Amino acid sequence: MSEKLTQRKAWDIVLDKLTKRSLWMLHYCTGCGAIELPPTMTSRYDMERFGISAMVTPRQADILLITGYLSVKTLQRVILTYEQMQAPKYVIGFGSCTINGGMYWNSYATIKSLDQYLPVELYIAGCMPRPEAIISSFTELIDRIGRGEANSWQDYYDNYDFYKKNQEHVFGEINTYVDIKDDKVKFGI
Amino acid sequence: MSTVLWIIFYPIIAFAIGVILLGYGRKFNARVQRRYGPPIQQVFYDILKLMSKRTNISHGWMHDTALVMLLGGTLLTLYFIPVPGFDFFSGYGDFLVVMYILLIPSLGMALGVGETANPNGSIGISRALQMLAGYDIPFALTFIGMAILAGTTNFSEIIALQQAEGIFGWGLMTNPFLGVAALIALHGMMGEKPFEVMVAPHEIATGPMTEMGGKYLGMMMIQHALNVVIELTIYINLFLGGAANWASYLVKLFVLMTLILSVNALFGRFRVDDAVRFMWKVPLVLAVIGVLIIIL
Repeated sequence: MSEKLTQRKAWDIVLDKLTKRSLWMLHYCTGCGAIELPPTMTSRYDMERFGISAMVTPRQADILLITGYLSVKTLQRVILTYEQMQAPKYVIGFGSCTINGGMYWNSYATIKSLDQYLPVELYIAGCMPRPEAIISSFTELIDRIGRGEANSWQDYYDNYDFYKKNQEHVFGEINTYVDIKDDKVKFGI
Repeated sequence: MSTVLWIIFYPIIAFAIGVILLGYGRKFNARVQRRYGPPIQQVFYDILKLMSKRTNISHGWMHDTALVMLLGGTLLTLYFIPVPGFDFFSGYGDFLVVMYILLIPSLGMALGVGETANPNGSIGISRALQMLAGYDIPFALTFIGMAILAGTTNFSEIIALQQAEGIFGWGLMTNPFLGVAALIALHGMMGEKPFEVMVAPHEIATGPMTEMGGKYLGMMMIQHALNVVIELTIYINLFLGGAANWASYLVKLFVLMTLILSVNALFGRFRVDDAVRFMWKVPLVLAVIGVLIIIL
């Protein structure tokens, strides 16, 4: 560590170690794969052990878990949802379809790679990934937050033009009611 | 001197107890569902995470002010309820004052959620106020009954009267009708299942908390932790003979919380009209019988 340890930095390190134990998840399951979540939440795999519980509104959530393919129309809703979430926020792409389109590669109606439109923190490969894979990705995310490396959400504030261009390329202009560039200045991100 | 120290540190102690009680509740629920469950300090992690969020959306100044009102009203209530070693303020305000200021947090929440203009939030608030009409009438009646029985409305005097006669002097023993009625009303007041109509995550997306994120939700969770302690302590003071020392106080808190959590873990959720109807049928009738026994 050549960098000087300032007071603010030291506090952030302590905070990361504590806040990584509490992550609230919003699951967006219009594609497929929602069936893998009940075993993850209930007694067999029990993700609440790690402090991860399911939340119902975007304002309260930290993780946006997107399962399966996204059609162009649902992508709009995902972006509206994502921008309502409070930073730090993490997108997890679940299943092959979010990585490269998967079996919908030839479809005119779905998007192929989720990271063109939103900053994805983690992908879970597979069709379908099993609950073990979901738990392993959550523990990976917890480790990254603890090390202070889970910073993909800052990319959305830094490279907003890139994401905005890709989004508008797919469905034209939409009003998301959130001014990302204004927020960047206001909250000093 | 010790009073000043109590005034400064009592909210922190109450918050710590509330967080542990809520964490215990989550662990209890998990074990009933045969899960391992989160660690007991989980609620503390949750609050810390919410308070350290980097962005916070405000919907206007009423939204900000209302949360101060919510937390302030709860802190004010906390001071007026005696615990072992600290009953400085109960000399200045009896439980009529407590009944009155218990409404401030609900009012603050209604104002703040009103400004967020979320339909789920408005439904949540209307349900909260309907439930208030349900549980407050039996609870007020049990208050009145205990006041007639003790001949005073002062918390400290009621506790002293109950403790003078040992376990058979407890309100629950001297008038079981009022004790049971207040227990059911307390259950509704705490919003645990089957009276969880205000939050109802699967129906109305956590109701009043729908638009709350970051520090706003963090403040609501702090208020909730304090509120749990307040409500349980009111019941302990009125019906379980108060507490002579902190050990018996903590034991009574955990036993009462376990009782409420056991019911919570077993039941589903009433519809709001069913919940109010139940409140006006069972606890209200019990409370009326209890008051009549005392008067006649």
